[in-house]
Amino acid sequence: MDIQEYFSLVFSDYTLRTITLGTAILGAVTGMLGSFAVLRKQSLLGDAISHAALPGIAISFLITGAKDSNTLLLGALVSGLIGTFWIRGIISKTHLKSDTALGLILSLFFGFGMLLLTFIQKQPNANQAGLDKYLFGQAATLIESDVWMMAIVTGICLFVLLLFWKEFKILLFDKDYAKTLGFNTKAIDILITSFIVLAIVLGLQTVGVVLMSAMLLAPAAAARQWTNSLATMVFLAAIFGAFSGVFGTAISASQDNLSTGPVIVLVAAVFVFVSFVFSPSRGLLFKQIRFIKNRRDLQLHKTLSFMYNIAETHDDISHPHEIKILNNFHGFTKGTLKKLVDKNYVILEGSTWSLTNDGFKTALNLYNQLTKKDE
Amino acid sequence: MSSAQIEIQLIASLVAIACAIPGTFLVLRKMAMISDAISHSILPGIVIGFFITQDLNSPLLILLAALTGVITVVLVEYIQKTGLVKEDTAIGLVFPVLFSIGVLMIAKKANDVHLDIDAVLLGELALAPFDRLLISGVDVGPKSLWIIGSILCITVLLLLAFFKELKLSTFDKGLAASLGFSPAIIHYGLMTVSSITTVGAFDAVGAILVVALMIAPAASAYLLTTDLKKMLILSIIFGVLSAISGYWFAHWLDASIAGSITTMLGVLFLIVYLFAPSKGIIAVLYREKQQRIEVSLLTFLLHLKNHDDENERHVNHLNEHINWQKVRSKIVLDLALKNNMIMIDDSIVFLTPKGDKFTTQAIDYIITNEDAQIEGMKDDFFLFRG
Repeated sequence: MDIQEYFSLVFSDYTLRTITLGTAILGAVTGMLGSFAVLRKQSLLGDAISHAALPGIAISFLITGAKDSNTLLLGALVSGLIGTFWIRGIISKTHLKSDTALGLILSLFFGFGMLLLTFIQKQPNANQAGLDKYLFGQAATLIESDVWMMAIVTGICLFVLLLFWKEFKILLFDKDYAKTLGFNTKAIDILITSFIVLAIVLGLQTVGVVLMSAMLLAPAAAARQWTNSLATMVFLAAIFGAFSGVFGTAISASQDNLSTGPVIVLVAAVFVFVSFVFSPSRGLLFKQIRFIKNRRDLQLHKTLSFMYNIAETHDDISHPHEIKILNNFHGFTKGTLKKLVDKNYVILEGSTWSLTNDGFKTALNLYNQLTKKDE
Repeated sequence: MSSAQIEIQLIASLVAIACAIPGTFLVLRKMAMISDAISHSILPGIVIGFFITQDLNSPLLILLAALTGVITVVLVEYIQKTGLVKEDTAIGLVFPVLFSIGVLMIAKKANDVHLDIDAVLLGELALAPFDRLLISGVDVGPKSLWIIGSILCITVLLLLAFFKELKLSTFDKGLAASLGFSPAIIHYGLMTVSSITTVGAFDAVGAILVVALMIAPAASAYLLTTDLKKMLILSIIFGVLSAISGYWFAHWLDASIAGSITTMLGVLFLIVYLFAPSKGIIAVLYREKQQRIEVSLLTFLLHLKNHDDENERHVNHLNEHINWQKVRSKIVLDLALKNNMIMIDDSIVFLTPKGDKFTTQAIDYIITNEDAQIEGMKDDFFLFRG
């Protein structure tokens, strides 16, 4: 199946439609909430939470013996929340730093989860197959009820987000101010963290424990490059996330042997890469261009001020001088001289140059005025 | 105990020691999450190395994979340096991408060979004794034992050779740089050692356990001591202890050894986290409570010193004046009495000369903004703490 075929089938084929919708919704909700995680400098929290969710899945399977994804995800939610609050406890009450706390909880919970999974696999009833799909995710196992579940959770997220928009925003950018205004910062903090946990847990089935953090971060990190407004960023991140989901599904469906999770992550990474390089205000490409342009302007100014220093010693500012006396050290090249001529600061006559009145004035004020209209 | 069991425990212990040493420094340098990133992102290196060498234990594969680990670190630092995102986001972006590439390469190419992701994540310690190293036909022991043994030797040698430099650059980067130790060389040296250890250990115990073995013993030791040497020794002891007890736990449960060692590490950390003498959570909560009461006591004494009016110092009016609840006022009053700071005469509270002296000194410290000094004073004045 190639990509075109995929897009023609996506509306008619039940499986494809379900998976595509599921990954799109998942991408949107993780992108939305991921923006908050990224801005709060909690990017790695997502990684820790997704790993910490694993024992919950195993335990709820051990208790109920059922493979119903909602029950398992409930277990994941509980154990993810326990992990999150333990991390906060470690950071706030002991000397251990946040990175240690994250790494600790991540590896310990995950190891414990793996212990339980291998323990389950040795059990006599053969119902356990398929639990390991939560490790790397299997979008193909999504069914319509899962997608409904995601849609409902996304709806709730969106509702809460809009309802507490002001509170979230102020907590994000100025926590102390929020406190002085009388907001219960702890409650808002817990609310938003819980939603992040919820979004991660939702994605476990599709993308898996290991790669879930990238789903949270990548769309948000990409969206951050295009805007400085929170609302736009959240919106953009949701779009990027959704598109990563759709494209990732399309690519993995059109090839054999490509699991959906890693492909979605790679597509999201492409979004990040493009944003890093091509974003107009922050992107590396335009930054470099601006850098080069600034350097050129500086060279031009240097040449001009050198000319000014020479012209100053003469009564007639337009007294012609040989081009030869200009040197490289002052940023002189043929190009810069031509630019000066274009700007009508300098007149060239044969092998001599002379400053114009205009050029003299500009050079005089070069270091007095900080804002120049022509640069 | 069969010889295979002894060998497994030996390998697990060696891995624990080899991880604990770099782990201690990673925790102290606040780079614990880097080990997580490395453990994931070596996957493509392992896969490529495997395609080239067709042998999971070849030294070339270990070097290639370790190189991927160092590349991860460089990439993270590069992204961070552009200022587009913060460091943690950079880490969180780089390793899933590399890991995804590894997963896809395995899915595409290595379906028919012995290399699956579960093995990379979890390792199979139980199988390690069956892969023997034969030197001219003589069986000299399991391959993993030799690999992790040599990595451990190198790590210990490097540690002994550069202990001073490592210590200095960990605790005072600026001083280390000004004394002429290049921070970059030490940094990348540590990263290389961590990468090599991760790669060497992953085959035996899997990527996740490597992270756990690096961070958990060091974090537990950090809560128990403030001495670098003691911390190193403690984390090695913790690592080995969990490795051996984890093995027997797995044996009893018939489950993954790696998972069970991690669980043991978790139990160990939980115990230390709760009961560590001065940094454990119970000690911290107790100290916080103590300090809360002592601060209240100070406030109370200051109040007494400031007010001569008998009305203000009547026992029954105190809670109104300082706005405390009854229970709290009673605790504070009792503490003050026990420490001979106050006298109660006919329901009017007076400062004793000792209480007066304490309060005067405390005020001095407060107005000169040296509040921390008050803590030291408490030892001189208090018979009973809060």
